[in-house]
Amino acid sequence: MTSRRRIALISTVFVAIASALVPLHIDAQRSDRAKSLGTKLMCMCGCGQILTQCNHINCPSSGPMLKELDAHVAKGEADDLIIQDFVQEYGEKVLSAPPTSGFNAIAWYIPGIAFVIGLGIVVALIRMWRQRDVARVATAVGPSAPAHDVLSEVHNVQLDRARQQADRDTED
Amino acid sequence: MDIFGSYALLLAFAFALYAIVGGIAAIITRRPLLIKSARNAGFAVCALIWIGTASLWYLFFTDNFSMAYVAAHSNRSLSPYYKFSALWSGQEGSLLFWSFLLSIYVFSVLFTYRGKHPELMPYVGVVMAGVQIFFLTMNNFVASPFGVFAGQGSGGILHLVTRSDGSGLNPLLQYPEMAIHPPTLYSGYTGFTIPFAFALAALLGRYPGEKWIHLTRRWTMIAWCFQSAGILLGAHWAYAVLGWGGYWGWDPVENASLMPWLTGTAFLHSVMMQEKRGMMRVWNVWLVFITFMLCMLGTSLTRSGAVNSVHAFAESNIGHWFWSFLLLILLVCLAAYFKNRDYLRSDNQLDSMLSRESSFLFNNLILLVACVAVLAGTLFPVLSEAVRGSKISVGPPFFNRVNIPIAMFLLFLTGVGPLLAWRKTSTESLKKNFGLPLVGGVIVAVIALALGLRDFYVTLCVLLSGFVTLTILSEFYRGARVISARTGANIFASAGQLTMRNTRRYGGYVVHFGMVLIFIGICGQAFNQDKQMDMTTGSVLTLGQYRLHLQNYDSTQAPNYTAERATIDVEKNGRSVMMLYPTRRFYPSNQESGTMVAIASTLREDLYVVYAGTNPDTNLPVIHAYLNPLVKWIWLGGVVVVLGTILALLPNRQAAMVLSPAATQAPIPVPGSTQPAHVSFSARSQLPAGAGSTWSPPEK
Repeated sequence: MTSRRRIALISTVFVAIASALVPLHIDAQRSDRAKSLGTKLMCMCGCGQILTQCNHINCPSSGPMLKELDAHVAKGEADDLIIQDFVQEYGEKVLSAPPTSGFNAIAWYIPGIAFVIGLGIVVALIRMWRQRDVARVATAVGPSAPAHDVLSEVHNVQLDRARQQADRDTED
Repeated sequence: MDIFGSYALLLAFAFALYAIVGGIAAIITRRPLLIKSARNAGFAVCALIWIGTASLWYLFFTDNFSMAYVAAHSNRSLSPYYKFSALWSGQEGSLLFWSFLLSIYVFSVLFTYRGKHPELMPYVGVVMAGVQIFFLTMNNFVASPFGVFAGQGSGGILHLVTRSDGSGLNPLLQYPEMAIHPPTLYSGYTGFTIPFAFALAALLGRYPGEKWIHLTRRWTMIAWCFQSAGILLGAHWAYAVLGWGGYWGWDPVENASLMPWLTGTAFLHSVMMQEKRGMMRVWNVWLVFITFMLCMLGTSLTRSGAVNSVHAFAESNIGHWFWSFLLLILLVCLAAYFKNRDYLRSDNQLDSMLSRESSFLFNNLILLVACVAVLAGTLFPVLSEAVRGSKISVGPPFFNRVNIPIAMFLLFLTGVGPLLAWRKTSTESLKKNFGLPLVGGVIVAVIALALGLRDFYVTLCVLLSGFVTLTILSEFYRGARVISARTGANIFASAGQLTMRNTRRYGGYVVHFGMVLIFIGICGQAFNQDKQMDMTTGSVLTLGQYRLHLQNYDSTQAPNYTAERATIDVEKNGRSVMMLYPTRRFYPSNQESGTMVAIASTLREDLYVVYAGTNPDTNLPVIHAYLNPLVKWIWLGGVVVVLGTILALLPNRQAAMVLSPAATQAPIPVPGSTQPAHVSFSARSQLPAGAGSTWSPPEK
């Protein structure tokens, strides 16, 4: 059996196992509107849990809040309006995620800004290190060397490093 | 015994001071006797902390309720198992337990390297003693677990007051994992002290080369392994006890444990660049510093009460001590860095964008961004309050939305990294290596789509999980095939041999596979279902393929609590398959309630049933049932991660050379023997040229 066939066989077995284990009832019941809205609100008992997930026995907040939410939904009020009602009653702390406008939107920007800055640093480092590699070879060869000498020197430097690497790999 | 414990801790504090002063003197004078003396002081500190901790355990087991800490966290009816774990159930005890675990690490390091590395170890000893001093200050002067109840007698003389019984242990903490999760997680936190001590010592002492990295590699892996296991055990505990159907709620305490794990993971990867190529020296030192500081920051956050947490038992007013210590560490690290930064200068060079080095850079970037995202979300309520005067909530929706794309990118890199060679990967080899895993991943995703998956991130996760798994399998297969061709052993035996020859690399792949399993398990969350119902005897709750019949509900009495219990017959496809007994407990000693969730777990899904109490309007028991797919994969993944790390910790088995079949056809005659000699070489240098050698894969 060729290696590709073997890998294909392994893939098939994996796919078969995975498909057997993935639950088939994925057309499961959908959360109702109240449940979905409940995930956007926090329980105000101080447990730090989402309203629909707070299960503290005899919790003084979650029960009344859920009832209030159900009442709003039963009246057919719009989602934004319901959330706004809760914010007016309990303050912004009732929201399970920071608002996307105003000062609190900064929370949403921080990871993106960190990623962009980090990416910039990584790209700059890679460019700098690559240039350093080329500069090192150029210094080794000299400014007036013909192109094929430079290439051959690049090859030599790389071979040299490969040897050093092999030495390092085989040491204890 | 309380006085005995107190004195032991006070003496430990004094010896720790000596270990620092003596250690600094030893560094300056280089006198061997001073070095030995400071080291012995380090041993004494550890022994005294053990005595102090043992004293507190003794007080718990003897129900000494004159001790405030014992009275607050234990009672007579508490089982010995929980009396043992009650030691770390509160602020003072957990800080002592922190000192205890740290002292085990410190003792192990001092003992392992006694008489070795004389230029480095005095510095290491001083740094470790410095960290111990801080915790011993807490144990002795700020949050002593040996406080007693005292009353004023008729003559104004204070005397000990002994209570007849204690308040008992918080019900949430009366769960078997209480004895495992905190020690495991704390072992992770404290374990990162060792790489921190070595990194700072190497920087302060300008210790040459990458030796400190080699010395601390295993210690870092041990700490990381404990941290990983501790996080997963905590998740399992939350799942089984809190009864909200989930295992990770992005609580500040959970986040505090995740952040050092993320930077520790970044360090374990980037350190290979320093080992192999001498690159990233500054970065690695700072990663270790940051990891240790995050361990302290997490503790400051949760113990200061600055952020709201379900782990309210840990809140107190000692946060400023941790903040001050954190500031001190930062200043010391900055001072050491600016004084000796030329020592960290490295000749960073990169041959190609398509290389293992680049993949590690991106891996570090992603892990650090994840850490920043978690830190920002955790601290933002504090910032918002400081700026706008009103606190806001940053809950799971924020963390999930920000971290899921990051996690997907990380999973992608987990698959890509092993396919890239050090220095440079040619486009041809990239195509060759990527082809099959990518096709396999796409096939898995297509099957998932055909089965009805419609969630973008879940489908992407399935695709990437398939890709990473096939990448790992192909790595094992390619290596094993070469060994199999040389030795004639079957492919599985060859894979075993291959793994044992480079345990770090292949153990790492096993860890990656464990992470894939965890990711698959987390994907299952997208299909969670739940239903809550007030049930009368004989009524039925239908959830997915299950029908839950409430047979009866009764109450039982245990020494430490009373329990209300529902008996539920579970039917699947019209057949009775099991009985479940969700329970609600009431602990009279501290007037608190707790749930004991009934979970029927399979690889496919968990049926998770909670007795949520009695509806005051109907006076009927409320049953909340959840159907959580694939949760078991998370715990299984955790076990694989731990096993992989243990594998990576094992020393490599030296490859024995086996002669090729052509060579073995001509056995070497041994004079005086009728049997041909079995020739094997254990050292590579002994290989005869052209005789054929065993294939040795490149180090990861």
